[in-house]
Amino acid sequence: MKVLVTGATGFIGRNLCLDLAEQGYNVVALCRNTAHPYLISHKNITPVKGDILDRESLAKAMNRCGQVYHTAALAKMWCRDKNDYYNINVVGTRNVLELAGESGVNKVVYTSTCGVWGPTIKHPMSENDPRIDGFAIDYERTKYLAEIETRIYSAKGLNVVTVNPSRVYGEGPITDSNTVGKMISGYLKGKWRIIPGKGTQVSNYAYLDDVVKGHIAAMEQGTPGNRYILGGEDISFNAFFSTLQSITGKTYGMFKLPQRVIEAYSQFELLKTTLTGLPPVFLPEFAARLKKDQKYSSQKAITQLNYSITPFEEGMAKTINHIKSL
Amino acid sequence: MMPLTAIVTGASEGLGKSLALELASRQIDLVLVSLPASGLSELAGFIRKNFEVKVTIFEADLTLAESCTSLFALLKSEELTAHILINNAGLGNWSWFEDKNIGFYKKQIELNVIAPVLLTHLFLAQLDEERTAYLLNVGSLAGRFVIPKKQVYGATKSFINYFTRCLQLEMERSNISISLLSPGGINTKPELLVLNHTLKGIAKATITEPDRVAYEAIHGMFLGKKEIIPGGVNKLMVVLNAILPGFIKDMIIKSKLKPVVKL
Repeated sequence: MKVLVTGATGFIGRNLCLDLAEQGYNVVALCRNTAHPYLISHKNITPVKGDILDRESLAKAMNRCGQVYHTAALAKMWCRDKNDYYNINVVGTRNVLELAGESGVNKVVYTSTCGVWGPTIKHPMSENDPRIDGFAIDYERTKYLAEIETRIYSAKGLNVVTVNPSRVYGEGPITDSNTVGKMISGYLKGKWRIIPGKGTQVSNYAYLDDVVKGHIAAMEQGTPGNRYILGGEDISFNAFFSTLQSITGKTYGMFKLPQRVIEAYSQFELLKTTLTGLPPVFLPEFAARLKKDQKYSSQKAITQLNYSITPFEEGMAKTINHIKSL
Repeated sequence: MMPLTAIVTGASEGLGKSLALELASRQIDLVLVSLPASGLSELAGFIRKNFEVKVTIFEADLTLAESCTSLFALLKSEELTAHILINNAGLGNWSWFEDKNIGFYKKQIELNVIAPVLLTHLFLAQLDEERTAYLLNVGSLAGRFVIPKKQVYGATKSFINYFTRCLQLEMERSNISISLLSPGGINTKPELLVLNHTLKGIAKATITEPDRVAYEAIHGMFLGKKEIIPGGVNKLMVVLNAILPGFIKDMIIKSKLKPVVKL
């Protein structure tokens, strides 16, 4: 069967292409640049030049595909033109869903994010929990709006399942949206020496291989119109860096940067970016987020999709080995 | 002492949800009011689990007067006394007057004006005079400035402004603290997110995050503030509004509107 993957050069998309190709699917890999270094070459992967914002190229790529995995998104922390977030994440998703409906695609899996919930209070969030925070972060706001698009098309009869990965780490290229990879590689070089706040903030870390398998399981077994959190273990910054330390055997004196300093610095960065247009290192909306946990439960995916979680230490060991080899 | 109980109307989304969470974080029991099928039971479940407070939900359309009376009938039957009422539910608009139908304006006035008046009356009648009570009415900066395309909405908020200030004078000697919340734009509902996202300059600077507004609102309410204006830029706007002569303000508003004024 022909299967379309959008965002085929992305952190999740490229490994998804590979897994599907290995399983014998004919993968149509949509990319803006077919010579992209992150695109995986495989006999079952056909790179097709196209853009989710160019409906004609998208329709062409989707032609005779039975399934669509829509992983393409703008996942960076910052970009020069804020409208890009809305266009790529919302309009792009609308294009994919609309054309999938028109061209007779059987099922769409849409890659959302746990960022649509954002911060948590005490217990891990699950699919039916409400969002408790505002929408200061562009990525989260536009991914939330894109989920509303999936609900609209689902109500119109399109078979679409949403998956919500948490903070994904694993073996892949180190890019702007691969925040965990950036931290690990910085640590290995001895350049990343800070722990935000007291280091007690907890985030959920999902191992890339689990997330890719979760996508395929959502296509095979996901209930139409449902969403599934694809997460991993809830880990604090302190635990993250002590795991990193014990696996690498490298011990650096880590400096705990007080929250107030981070906030002040983020305000300075915002001012710098506003005045000069230079990319910021860190922004106030992300500084505010460091005060809250981001814990998520993958229980629904475990029960309904046979989703399994690779233990954090095991996933980290593989990731660290991979980053050392780059 | 028994925990306080607060009624929050329009609690399922936006500012109402943030107000509910802010109150819950202060260990205050809640009575959440919203339309049916607006996700209220999920929110209530989340708050009970994470904050360990008592949460009662009441799903009803507050534009019907009987909804207001049945809310307080429910509280009575459950032997609950509300100590805090937050009149938050409201219906906004950003459109030329002719572009909405009469049904919309009727509903807007019923929800923004009639419901808060009825609820306030019913709330005052059930108070336990021994304990300090709090009333927080959610107005809007739109109630203080004349903003075209917000004609009926702004007028309903001017009503809330007058109503609240009058009650503050009438009930000065009672054991109740009455506050008016006058927020600017808030990043809340998805449809507003698209709108707010396209704003620039001062209009953008007046947009605030709901959790911040909720914190300032509840903090100010317990301090007994008469009016709470969240956000630094918003406070400045109010000051400017008070000192600038009328004709200059008119000029500013008209120049801002130029690109949108219909010919």
